[in-house]
Amino acid sequence: MEPSEDIEDIKDIKDAKEILQNLVKAKKTLRMYPQNNPVYLKTLEDSYMKFKSFFDYKENLMLKIKQNSIFYDSEQIYYNPEKEDNMALLFFKDGLRELTFEKGLPQEELEEFLRIIAKDFDREAVDDDIVTLLWEKDFQNIRYIVDEAFLVDVDEEDYETKVESEVKEKITGVEDLMRAYADGFKEEDVKGISIVPLTDKDLQMLVKELEKDSSDKTEKLITVLFEMVYQSEGINDLEDTFMFLKDAIKFSMKHGEIYTVLNVMKRSKEMLEDPLLTEYAKEYIRILFLYLGTEEIISLLAEILDSGIEIDEKVFEKFVEVLDKNAITPLVKFLGELKTIHARKRVIEILIFLGRKDIQAIAKGLDDHRWYVVRNIIYILRKIGDKRAIEYLLRTVRHGDIRVRKEVIRALGELGGREVVQTLRECLDDPDTEVRIASARAFGSIGSEAAKKIILEKVSDKIFKDRDFEEKKEFYEVLSRWKDAEVFDFLIRSLKKKSFFSRTKNYENMACAAFSLGLLGDKDALPILYKYKDSNNKLLREFSSTAIKRIEYSQ
Amino acid sequence: MNTANKEDREVHKSAQDIINQLSVILRTAQIHDPGNIAVTTAIDRFLLLINPLIESERSITLELIGEFFYINDSRIRYSLEYLLNFDFLVREFKKREIGSVMFKDEIKPDDLKTFLKAFITSGFSDAPYEKMLEDMEESQSIEIGRLKKVKEGEEIDTRKIIKKTYFNAVSYAKGVMTKIKSGEKVNIRKAKRIIETMVDQLLEEEQLLLSMTAIKDYDEYTYHHSVNVSILSIALGQRLGLSKKILTELGLVALFHDIGKVEIPYEILNKSTNFTDDEWILMKRHPVWGVRAILKLRGFDTTTMRSSIVAFEHHMNYDFSGYPKVRNYTELDLYSRMVSLADQYDAMTSSRVYSRIPMTPDKALSIMMERAGTQLDPLLFKFFINMVGVFPIGTLVLLDTKELGLVYESDVVFADRPRVLIIIDSKGERVEGPVVNLTEKDEAGKYLRSIVKTLDPNKYKINLAEYLL
Repeated sequence: MEPSEDIEDIKDIKDAKEILQNLVKAKKTLRMYPQNNPVYLKTLEDSYMKFKSFFDYKENLMLKIKQNSIFYDSEQIYYNPEKEDNMALLFFKDGLRELTFEKGLPQEELEEFLRIIAKDFDREAVDDDIVTLLWEKDFQNIRYIVDEAFLVDVDEEDYETKVESEVKEKITGVEDLMRAYADGFKEEDVKGISIVPLTDKDLQMLVKELEKDSSDKTEKLITVLFEMVYQSEGINDLEDTFMFLKDAIKFSMKHGEIYTVLNVMKRSKEMLEDPLLTEYAKEYIRILFLYLGTEEIISLLAEILDSGIEIDEKVFEKFVEVLDKNAITPLVKFLGELKTIHARKRVIEILIFLGRKDIQAIAKGLDDHRWYVVRNIIYILRKIGDKRAIEYLLRTVRHGDIRVRKEVIRALGELGGREVVQTLRECLDDPDTEVRIASARAFGSIGSEAAKKIILEKVSDKIFKDRDFEEKKEFYEVLSRWKDAEVFDFLIRSLKKKSFFSRTKNYENMACAAFSLGLLGDKDALPILYKYKDSNNKLLREFSSTAIKRIEYSQ
Repeated sequence: MNTANKEDREVHKSAQDIINQLSVILRTAQIHDPGNIAVTTAIDRFLLLINPLIESERSITLELIGEFFYINDSRIRYSLEYLLNFDFLVREFKKREIGSVMFKDEIKPDDLKTFLKAFITSGFSDAPYEKMLEDMEESQSIEIGRLKKVKEGEEIDTRKIIKKTYFNAVSYAKGVMTKIKSGEKVNIRKAKRIIETMVDQLLEEEQLLLSMTAIKDYDEYTYHHSVNVSILSIALGQRLGLSKKILTELGLVALFHDIGKVEIPYEILNKSTNFTDDEWILMKRHPVWGVRAILKLRGFDTTTMRSSIVAFEHHMNYDFSGYPKVRNYTELDLYSRMVSLADQYDAMTSSRVYSRIPMTPDKALSIMMERAGTQLDPLLFKFFINMVGVFPIGTLVLLDTKELGLVYESDVVFADRPRVLIIIDSKGERVEGPVVNLTEKDEAGKYLRSIVKTLDPNKYKINLAEYLL
């Protein structure tokens, strides 16, 4: 060998080694990073460049694969005795014995190859081995040789020889053969099967068949499974069939096919009414309905909702209708885990619908450690509007989060009833302004005489004057809900009230009274409001003006 | 979309277009004068397709190997829309013994007209290839090559490989059934690998793999039957123009079609006499048991869904006259109709499945033809019969030359003119070969050999394995 050739060989081996090291690195990187990540892109580019420079002076890179090592040109360029992260073993265990990369390998093909080897074949639910994946890709510039021996079980290794010798044992006798020959001349002549040639119409029909065949097969299998319910010969058969139907539901949910699930339930419902079906079978159908509400299925529903897949409104409504109350607990659980507002809104809608069937189950959500879940549950209970919720809601009035407290006060206000008044009254003295305002509004929602008296009492209190303007305004606004003489008189009195001390605060009160009179809409208030329209106090002037306009326009 | 893949697909499509257009030209030129506008338009379109490719590749060689066309060494898959034109071209090439046509430099309309003239004239010659070669002597830009015959040694090696694949598949099928019976886990990755190899071999050596299905005399026929149905289904799927990936799925689904039989006692399954009524009731349960076995074997995915559907439907018949009887059903799945054809054919021609008396392949086909439109899908049957041929592999035939032989390979183009292995010569003496091609003609253009009678090899205890394995 010429020294220059020697040097060239050394360079080949060095480069092949580098390529392999790069593949090992790429295998890890591609598994870790998404396709658009710069690290992913750089690794891919590096690998491609390594191949490209190798192909500058070589036509191909042929790798021989052994259990723990990889050879290039009879030189070992990779060795790893470990089972984990062993590139040689990854190929070897699936029967791959030789791998060749051809000059002209494009980056896209290399990327596809790297994405295959980056798969976690042990952990991922991959049904295909590495050879199948390579085969399916049908690479133009990557060739491989596989040893198929491992496809045969060890105890069946000599199967071919055994069966072949068995089947060849019965040698055709010469006499039999001669008899066949002699009989042949006596047989009728072949009539022949007329081959009908394929026509364009046949091909058109075939195209239609193939197009039709591309549709999803889940519904078809479900039809089969329903037929099997009728074919069942015993309880074990039924148990199996309904287990498969559950799997079909799960599979459809995983693929966002709510419509398919709805069809399963529609058919199940029809079967419940079939007098020919046994009671056993009907019991399983009822269990199937309950299966929809299990955590397993609700978690998939949550995924669908979070994914943003468009769901037909009618389909969704029908789906909600078939859910039973057992769905409440998992729905509450996932309410706190959903990532999008849209999904949360949808789950809340379902819970409002289902909650009517079981207030207690919904109320359990009030114990959730996540404040936003508690707030959502309170909202749901408020929307359901069932007074049985009050006893659960009252427990959350002292919740640590102000947002929860505001929501529960509002809910209590809307639900009303004597039992909530005392709690709300206490909330009117809460150190937090927002809680006090929420309570005042809640009293407004209750709208009873007692509620009015409480608010009147509160705003008449001497210390009320010193509260923030916005809070006072809210209280006066609440008062305007009672459109009666008592409130009217009170507001007129408040407007006329003079004070030598804390004049600014007094003006604020007067402005609030003017504002409330405007909301009350009684035109008897107009003369006095006109009087204050020209007040020296800007706030009173503005609020009186607004009130006048409101009354006059509403007339 | 992956750019490289997109480019590959575009190139592949161009290659398909070239073959298709060449076929169009030849068909048109057989009807019209070369100067006719229909011919010249077809020529112009062909030139528009081929010349840019010649420019980038320097030359384009269209080669016929086996039943498939290759362009510059890449196999060009049949696509459904071009199926008839591809078949026409295969037939015309074979008729003239043309194996390749090389186009180089820029092709002008006159070059192609010379080629056309030579092509058409050679069709009337006794030595068509030589005639065409002579007529094209002057042509600078189009060259033809003779059809290559497969070397005997190569064929033996290929047969060995194919035999290995076949028995691997049978051994796997046996393993699956045994494992299911004993509640063990089944490795589906292995099944895929086996089917992929079968798909590859069917694409390359369809006839050799099909010949494996002709031998029915095995002790454990149930396992062989599953593999045979898988092979026949893939072969049918290939005729329908299905992709490699879909063929694998179809093969896998077909392999598991009878898996419900694991529940049937071995003694019943393999008994040598007809089934009793009770045994029939048991047998008719296997489609339902099949669904159960498959769905228990693996979770839900597209392949298990299809396998379950086929396991359930493969005996239902196109007109729903079979079993199991159903209530609310509209149509059988495409795969079920395909597997049903393969299943009926293999079952009828074997002695152990359903019928105790095996039929000759041609007899089975004629019965199936009667069933087309009722029990069997008539459209798919047309493709099926075109695939297996009028005289399928393993048919015992008497030729007009007084030779007795076994059909060894079907001919894709001439369905009634297969290759036949002679086992008794015209003098009435037992021989081992040769394999003769029934498409061969004498100098007067008359066929050298034709089939005159078919016989039942089982009646005469002729062991096909002795000849086909």
